[in-house]
Amino acid sequence: MAYGTVSADIIQSSVPGVSLGAGDATMMKNRIINGAMVIDQRNAGASVTVSTATYCVDRWGFSGSQASKFTAQQNAGSVTPPVGFSNYWGLTTISPVSLASGDYFVAYQVIEGYNVADFGWGTANAKTVTISAWVYSSLTGTFGGSLRSSTNNYSYPFTYSIPVANTWTQISITIPGATSSTWNTTNGQGILVNFALGVGSTYSGTAGSWSANNYLSATGATSVVSTNGATFYITGVQLEVGSSATGFEYRQYQQELALCQRYCFVPSATQANGAYLRFGVGANQSSTISNIAVNIPVTMRAIPSLTIPSPVSLFALYTAGSLLPATGLAIAGDGTSPQVVTVSASVAGAATNGYAAGLLANGNNTAYLILSAEL
Amino acid sequence: MTYQLIKSLLSGEVNGAIKANDDGTITSFVFDPDNTDYQAYLKWLEAGNTPLPADTGA
Repeated sequence: MAYGTVSADIIQSSVPGVSLGAGDATMMKNRIINGAMVIDQRNAGASVTVSTATYCVDRWGFSGSQASKFTAQQNAGSVTPPVGFSNYWGLTTISPVSLASGDYFVAYQVIEGYNVADFGWGTANAKTVTISAWVYSSLTGTFGGSLRSSTNNYSYPFTYSIPVANTWTQISITIPGATSSTWNTTNGQGILVNFALGVGSTYSGTAGSWSANNYLSATGATSVVSTNGATFYITGVQLEVGSSATGFEYRQYQQELALCQRYCFVPSATQANGAYLRFGVGANQSSTISNIAVNIPVTMRAIPSLTIPSPVSLFALYTAGSLLPATGLAIAGDGTSPQVVTVSASVAGAATNGYAAGLLANGNNTAYLILSAEL
Repeated sequence: MTYQLIKSLLSGEVNGAIKANDDGTITSFVFDPDNTDYQAYLKWLEAGNTPLPADTGA
């Protein structure tokens, strides 16, 4: 039975200026990943003291000119998130800094070039974009941030206002497309989105225009890092094509997790029945080394790095009926790709060449692997 | 902070490095131009640093 044909190029929505089906207001309009701060593979909601470069909730990083000035945590301070959200990312100053010209403290996300290639930046057809978010701070005033190119020498400082302390404020900043500079459109750094927590004059510029400088914030913006105990919370971050903010694009949990896992995958024994978690299987190459294949759920952006906790004896090889504590664990260049990682596991000489082996948590709930292909 | 080189288990050629991080964790990576740890390692080399040689292995 024929059902006929429906032709509908554009459907007008209830949001002014937005046409559903027109290409920019439909699925995947939000180029930010984990904008609702739902995914936290590395820390599972725990607070961390950030160093000069630390990834926190998935895809969101902190970069600072000085270490140990902030703690970062999913849902820090346990305030009620804005309506429609269950999570936020919070940063708290733990050691105040009087900003020098070269200081910088920013929360950021680097968007992969593939995901912003349609912006046409660096060409005459560059598209206007809008950033929107919910922000909350113990401070009030004019805050700053920027968009920056992958070449670190072209940026657009912006400002936004938080008029009332300890109250969620929805912000929106519209930014004309960059018609100059070089913008990565493959698997490198496409656009760096910064929310400044305190930036000195070297990295601050006039808000509201593109500039051939490495600006991370706007001149005169509020410095969160300069007040001990000051907080900055953020969620609902969206970067979309167009000159006005539309409603936040909610994604199903598994969709968001898979998007995050292109950049970071954390198999962890920190779960029920995880004490002998099988991270992967392989075979012994000698009496002291086994090569273990660890499967990755999605193709990663690049060949990942492997980070493990200390001591390495948190891990063990299970081979020929014996559990052998690991003495070394490192990623192997042979047989490693963005789809499958080979881990070279060392033991103290009791393995049998050619026998099968598994890499396990050694009877604990603290072993984990961080496979990171972040930008 | 320093790096130690890692050799291929098959060819014996150096193809990665490992480092101890300030928080006590250990990071290893292969020499992939798209890997940001490798990019940081190259900058560390450019600054005049020298990594530790690879273990001889089994």
